[in-house]
Amino acid sequence: MREMKPNAVPTAEEMRRASLERVAIDASCRRAVLTWYASAVFWLLVGSTFALLASFKMHIPDWLTESGWLTFGRVRPAHLNTVAFGWGSMAGIASAIWMMARLGRVELKYGGLLVVAAMIWNIGIAVGAGGILLGHSTSIEWLEMPRPAPIILAVSLLIVSACIFVNFTRRRERHVYVSQWYILGAMFWMPMLYITAQWLCVELPARGVVQSAVNWWFAHNVLGLWVTPMGLATAYYLIPKVIGRPVYSYYLSIIGFWSLALFYSWAGMHHLVGGPMPAWMISASIVGSMMMLVPVGAVAVNHHFTMQGHFHELKHSPTLRFVVFGAMSYTVVSVQGAFESLRQFSEVAHFTHYTIAHAHLGMYGFFTMVMFGSGYYMIPRMTGREWASNWLIRLHFWSCALGIIMYFVTLTYGGWLQGLMLINPDVKFIEIVVKLTPYLHGRSMAGCLMTFGHVVFGLSLVLNLSGVGKRFGGGR
Amino acid sequence: MVPAELMVRATLLFSVIAFGGAAALVLAWAVQNGQFDNFTRAAEGIFDADEPIGQPTDRTLSAAAGERDA
Repeated sequence: MREMKPNAVPTAEEMRRASLERVAIDASCRRAVLTWYASAVFWLLVGSTFALLASFKMHIPDWLTESGWLTFGRVRPAHLNTVAFGWGSMAGIASAIWMMARLGRVELKYGGLLVVAAMIWNIGIAVGAGGILLGHSTSIEWLEMPRPAPIILAVSLLIVSACIFVNFTRRRERHVYVSQWYILGAMFWMPMLYITAQWLCVELPARGVVQSAVNWWFAHNVLGLWVTPMGLATAYYLIPKVIGRPVYSYYLSIIGFWSLALFYSWAGMHHLVGGPMPAWMISASIVGSMMMLVPVGAVAVNHHFTMQGHFHELKHSPTLRFVVFGAMSYTVVSVQGAFESLRQFSEVAHFTHYTIAHAHLGMYGFFTMVMFGSGYYMIPRMTGREWASNWLIRLHFWSCALGIIMYFVTLTYGGWLQGLMLINPDVKFIEIVVKLTPYLHGRSMAGCLMTFGHVVFGLSLVLNLSGVGKRFGGGR
Repeated sequence: MVPAELMVRATLLFSVIAFGGAAALVLAWAVQNGQFDNFTRAAEGIFDADEPIGQPTDRTLSAAAGERDA
């Protein structure tokens, strides 16, 4: 194991060796990471198309109703599954593979197997999304994909987890960095969550209260124990790495990880506030949700103080722009989520567009933006090419950033009004529908902005993979 | 109790034990293994001689790199 002495000036030979080691590690990840990440971007574009269709149908309900597969009830779950399992999971796995190799200071082994796993995963998403569009959805939220898609995805997930754990045991750096903790957690939790939930909700299935409890235990934990750990792992690696400054408090980062592991899996049942559930289960879940302020506070303090004095780097680094935007969104969405779980809050916000805005701030404002940042850092190091155009990068950032801000503000305000009207018995339902129309137009405009950004990013990625762009010079 | 109910209870029990047990085991391993002994070194572990502390590693949008667009 090679240790770095912080205050010692490295010799030219030490620098050369470190550089060669890093380049060799990046090269070993090339095929696997590019396959996972490029597939992710493909599904992002597909999922964005479904998103726009679903969004426009909210205010043009007669649009594209002639074909069953283009109806809202199919397009909306197709959107959720392609972006959550296609884009989000695949981009997260790409980042995880690369970071585990780098942090373990060891070249990736079984890269070929990971490429095969990516192919299997792609087949699973295609079969699942196709099944939903053909009308075979299970109708259980977040588990809509019909058989055999879940089996295909579970096989791929187990291969990925096994490869990551095996590579972890081969590491040369014995210390486990906080990003590794998060990734190992995610790789353990997600296969268990997915297989257990699939078994209990769809295959067996458990009925009544147990089924809905397991459903929301799974759906919420996909965010908290799969997406969040991979997003935070990436932020904890890339923010210090890009600005060249160690994380402000490593102690806090470890507190953050272990408190997330302790509290998050309690939180899912707050989605069932007001439902026919035992009151103690909902209460326990609300307590778990409020306790999430501990890990969220730890992460927020850490990221802010790590960045303090280095905000000028946002001008230079696309990675930092996206990741810092994502980290700030994480704080906002998590604090909001904790309070949203309260019964009094749910009285208004539940079953409204307010919740949709919250979910998108988490999955998009936080996770997707961090994954874009991760791509901007990883891809040139894999392909050996700089990004073809800085203009395209800026266009991507601003369209996505403005898009998600517009989406969040519009639906948060509109959703709250919707909630107030829904609990007022003097307001007719049709009045609520009419009153919400401008907010739904705003949602579609925001969706167009974000989708435009995705197309721009897709173009940048295709150019990079095609070898367009200067030779990569180390990012400095 | 019908077999389906038994299966549900067995699955839930297994999940609780697996989730909680794994967390307890890993935490014990981490403490014994000295993973929480030296936080300063842990935080600096992502840097190396070629990309040391104080060295930004992504200036893609800086003035020099921006010339690519011209």
